[in-house]
Amino acid sequence: MYLFLSFFLCRVNKMSESVIRSKQAQREVNGISTEVVCTEFSNYIFVVLTQYGKIGTLISVTPDSRSNDLSTPTFSTKVLLGKDEPLTHVCAKNLAMFVSQESGNRPVLLGLALKDSSIDAIKQIKEMIKSCQVW
Amino acid sequence: MEDNGAEFKGISVHNFSEKILEQVVHFHVMKLSGGFFLWVGSAPVLSNLAVSMSSKYDSMPLSTLVMGDPSNTAPNSLAQRLAKKTKKQVFVSYSLPMTDSSLSLLVENRIKKELELHPEHF
Repeated sequence: MYLFLSFFLCRVNKMSESVIRSKQAQREVNGISTEVVCTEFSNYIFVVLTQYGKIGTLISVTPDSRSNDLSTPTFSTKVLLGKDEPLTHVCAKNLAMFVSQESGNRPVLLGLALKDSSIDAIKQIKEMIKSCQVW
Repeated sequence: MEDNGAEFKGISVHNFSEKILEQVVHFHVMKLSGGFFLWVGSAPVLSNLAVSMSSKYDSMPLSTLVMGDPSNTAPNSLAQRLAKKTKKQVFVSYSLPMTDSSLSLLVENRIKKELELHPEHF
């Protein structure tokens, strides 16, 4: 009976356990409610950074295949959805480069919807991403 | 922030799984303000992404693929049908083999069941 029950519970656990891992955080950044959700996929890290509760602008941040010298790694950013302006690329690189490097050079899919893109805000949001490490 | 008349209480994540046609299919929902992100797959791969939302100029919601192989129509059509049903902005990533059309039908029915049982997660 016990064996049967434990087998059953094990099955239930297995079914409810997701293959997708995610972590989230919510905090005020310069007085604005800010949410971060990081989700791990085997080929991508999906990061949502929002002060609107929405995904907003979708950007992919991809590490460039390295040249043979030992120069610092470079990244390509591409706006997949939303306004394609220079500041978006700068913010995306600043926020997502370390995520890619720490996750074994996985590309990062970034959802960015910020009211405040000041350097100070970006710094604080970066700390929030670090608290949601899923990689 | 208004979300169909109800107040948006922050992003929430909801996971569920179901054995469909001898394989375990995982579902991952991220509830957003005025919409949701849904990933469907059997292995944790993000292979495509479609976005769909209603337009006042057309009875069928607009849909576009922002990532992945354009020849795979599954993410687009699923996003479009869910946007039509929920009247929300819907992001869909569909990472199941598209060879089996009966599978995608059963998958869609499972999502609709979850929408009815737990509308608060979408």
